Amino acid sequence: MRRRYMWMLVVTGVFVIGALVSLYPTFKVWTMTAQEKLAKIDDPDYINTERKSIKLGLDLRGGMHVVLEVDKSKLTPDEASDAVDRALEIIRNRVDKFGVAEPLIQKQGKDRIVVELPGISDRARATSLIGQTAQLEFKLLENPDNLKNILNQIDRTLGPQKDTTAKEKPKPVTDLFGKSTGDTAKTEEEPTEKPFSSLLQTAGNGYFFVQPEDVPQVRRFLEKPEVQEQITPDVEILWSSKNETSEGRPLAGLYLVKKQVELSGKFLTFARENRDPQTGAPTVDFELNRDGGRIFGRLTGANIQKPLAIVLDQKVVSAPIIQGQISNRGQITLGGGGTMEEAHDLAIILRAGALPAPVKIIESSLIGPSLGADSIEKGKISGLIGIGLVILFMSFYYRLSGVIASFGMLLNFVFLVAILASLGLTLTLPGIAGIILTMGMSVDSNVLIFERIREEMRSGKTVRASIEAGYKRALWTVIDSHVTTLITAIILFIFGTGPVKGFAVSLSWGITISLFTAVVVTRAIFEIRKEYKTLSI
Amino acid sequence: MPKTNINFIGQRKYAFLISGILSVIGIVAFVSIMIGKANMGLDFSGGTMIQGNFEKPVTVAELRGALATLGKGDAEIQELVGHIKPNSFIIRVKATLTELGKVDTLLLNAIAKAFPDNPFLLDSSHEVGPAVGKLLRKQAQLAVLYSLFGILIYIWIRFDFRFAVAATIATFHDVLAVLGIMFLMQKEITLLVITALLTLAGYSLTDTVVVYDRIRENLKMFRKKGDFEATINASVNEVLSRTVVVSLTVFITVLVIFLFGGNVVRDFALAMMMGVAVGTYSSIFVASPIIVEWENRSPKRFK
Repeated sequence: MRRRYMWMLVVTGVFVIGALVSLYPTFKVWTMTAQEKLAKIDDPDYINTERKSIKLGLDLRGGMHVVLEVDKSKLTPDEASDAVDRALEIIRNRVDKFGVAEPLIQKQGKDRIVVELPGISDRARATSLIGQTAQLEFKLLENPDNLKNILNQIDRTLGPQKDTTAKEKPKPVTDLFGKSTGDTAKTEEEPTEKPFSSLLQTAGNGYFFVQPEDVPQVRRFLEKPEVQEQITPDVEILWSSKNETSEGRPLAGLYLVKKQVELSGKFLTFARENRDPQTGAPTVDFELNRDGGRIFGRLTGANIQKPLAIVLDQKVVSAPIIQGQISNRGQITLGGGGTMEEAHDLAIILRAGALPAPVKIIESSLIGPSLGADSIEKGKISGLIGIGLVILFMSFYYRLSGVIASFGMLLNFVFLVAILASLGLTLTLPGIAGIILTMGMSVDSNVLIFERIREEMRSGKTVRASIEAGYKRALWTVIDSHVTTLITAIILFIFGTGPVKGFAVSLSWGITISLFTAVVVTRAIFEIRKEYKTLSI
Repeated sequence: MPKTNINFIGQRKYAFLISGILSVIGIVAFVSIMIGKANMGLDFSGGTMIQGNFEKPVTVAELRGALATLGKGDAEIQELVGHIKPNSFIIRVKATLTELGKVDTLLLNAIAKAFPDNPFLLDSSHEVGPAVGKLLRKQAQLAVLYSLFGILIYIWIRFDFRFAVAATIATFHDVLAVLGIMFLMQKEITLLVITALLTLAGYSLTDTVVVYDRIRENLKMFRKKGDFEATINASVNEVLSRTVVVSLTVFITVLVIFLFGGNVVRDFALAMMMGVAVGTYSSIFVASPIIVEWENRSPKRFK
C-alpha cells in the first residue's frame, strides 16, 4: 500500500518541477524592460518565450482595445472569402511600423478583427492608423469649360432659391434694400440666381473653396437627385480631406474630378515622410513600380499644367499642378497645415497597402495606465487576503488535516498558474478573480473528504480504515460536484470572449487540478505516517 | 458540528413561498431586461462610457451643462464618491450609429472647452456599437439555457430523472433570485454579472449533489414509503455541516474580492456572494422538498 502513495508523491514532485519550468518564460519576460522587448521583437527565440508566458491583459496594463468589422458588402464572393485575412495582415503591417510593443491582432469570428495596443493613449491617432481604408487614387480634374456648364446647369435646375446661408458670418455693410457689398456676402431677402455656384469661391481649375458654414447647404444641394443628374456621368464631386486656411480663415475644398482612376495605390512600392525643401511643409515621397511608372509618365506627360487630384478614401488630399513629366517618383503634400506626424502615419499606411474593404469600428476601449496598475494592486491584495483567510479557516476547523489541505491548495495555485502560462493566457482582472475563486473551490474537495472521514471515525472505525473509507465514499461526490461547475465553465468558455474566456479557462483548469490534488496528493500525504492512533481532523 | 435534526422538509411551505417570491422578482427582472427597461451594461446596450477625474471639484450639474453643448445633456453622470482619486466621474452616453469611434473624443473636447482651467484626466473609456450588444444578449441567453440543459442531463445520468428536474429547478431559481436582487438594487447588469450568474449556476449544484449523494445512500437502506420524508430530512441534516462549510470557503474568497477587488469586479463578487448563499439555501429548501412533494403525489419505488 505504501509504495503506491510514495509513487504518487514522486509524481507530484515531478509535476511541481514541471510547473516551475513552465513558469520560467513568464519570469523571464516579466523581468525584461520594455526597450529590451522592442529590440527583440523579431527574435524567434523571444517570440517563443513570449508565447509561453502569462501576458497582462489590457485592463491591467493600460492601452487600447478595438474591434473592427470588415464591411464585405461591396466585394465579390471570391474577394470576400479572404478579405478579413488580408485586412488582418495589412493592419498588422501598419501596427508593426507604428512601434507598439506586444500588440495583439487577431481574427474574431468570421468578420471581425480585434486589435490591442498596450501602452497607447492617443486614441484618435491609433484609430485612424488601423481604421483607414487608405484607398489611394490619382484623378484628373474636370476641365474649365465642362465645369462651367455643369455649374450653370445645377444653378438652373435649382431655380431661384431663397438664400439660406448661416447667420454667423460677419455681415458686410448692407444698404437700405438689403443688397450687400462684397464678393462673397449674400442677401437674406433677395433670391439669388446662382444658388449653388454662389456658395463656391473659385480657387483654381475645377477647385473651389466653401465657407465651413455653407458646407451643410452645399451638401444638401448635392444630395438632391435633380442636381446629381446635372453632373456628367464621368465626373464626381469630392471634398478635401482637410480644411485649407486662407487669410487666417478655414475653408473647405470642393473638387470636380473625373471619375476615371488614372493611377491607384496598387502601384506604390515605397513611401516615406519628408519635408518640402522650399516650403518646409510635410510631404510623403513615394515611388512607383515599373508599370506604375509607365502609366504615371504617360499621364503627367499628357497633362502638363493641369491639376492632378490625389485622393485618399474619397477625399482629396491635394491637387498639385503637373509641372512636368514624372515617371516613378512623386510627392504628396499634405494640405491644410498637416503635421510631420500625419505624414509619417500616412507613409506607414501607404506602405502597408490599402485595406481590401472598409472596416467599421464596433467596439473601442481605452484603459489608462494608472487604472491598470491599480487593478493589479487590488488583485494581489485580494488574492493574498482571500487565500490567507481560507488557510486560517481550514487550519482552525480541520486542524492538522486542514493544514495539509491548505498545502494542497497552494499546490493547486502553482499548478494552475503553470498551466495558464503554458497556454500563454492573457491575465485580466476577471481572470485573477477566477483564480481566487478557484482557490476557494479547490478546498471543497478536501472538505467533503474530511467530513466523510470524521463521520467514519464517529461510527467507530479505526483511523486508517476511516481515511480509506472516507476517500473511497467521497470520491464520486467530489467528482459530481466538480463536473457540474465544469459544465458551466466550459459553456462560458465557448460563449465568452476576452476576459470572460480567461475567467472560464482559470476556472476550468483550477477545478480539474483541484480534483487531482485532493484525491491523489493529500491522500498520499496522509499515507506518510505508518500508524495513526488519532487523527488531527 | 453536532448532530442536528431540523425538520427542513416540514418547513417546505414557507420555503416555497420565499422561493416563489424570489423567482417572481427574477422573472420581473428578466422581462425588464428583455423590454430594455433594465440597467444593462455597456456591452449589452451599446454606447460610450468614460471615467476620469478632475483636478478641482465639479458639480454634476456643471458637467451636465458641458455635455449639453454636444446635445448629450441626457447623459448618465455618476460621481464616484470615495474613490481614491477625488472628483472622479463616470459618464455614460447612449449609442448612436454614426459617431462610433469618436464619441469619447467629442465628450473630452466638450469638457475641456467648458472647464479650461480644470483638466480632466481620462482613466478609461469604453465604446460599444449597438449591434454588438444585441448579439451578446442572445449569446448570454443561449449560454444560460445550455448550462441548465447540461446540468439536467448530467444529474439525470448520475442520479435519476426526478432528482435532475428538482436540481434544475433549484438552479434556475438561484439564477433568477440573484438576477432579481441585482435588478432591485439597480445594479448594472454587465457581462461580468452574467458570468457570475452562470458560474453560480454550476456552483450551486455542488451543495445539491452533496445532499443528493447522501439521500441516495440512505434510500438504499430505507424502503418503506412512510419513511421517505424522514429519510430525506435525515439526509439533509447529516450533510448540513459539509454543505455549509463548502459554501463558506467560497463565500470567504468572494467576500474578499468584493471588499478589496475594486469597482471593476465588485458587482461580480456581489452576485457570486448572493449566489453562493442562495445556492446553499436552495439545495436544502428547494431541491429536496421538490423530490418529496413529487414522491407524495406520484409514488415511485426508489432503488
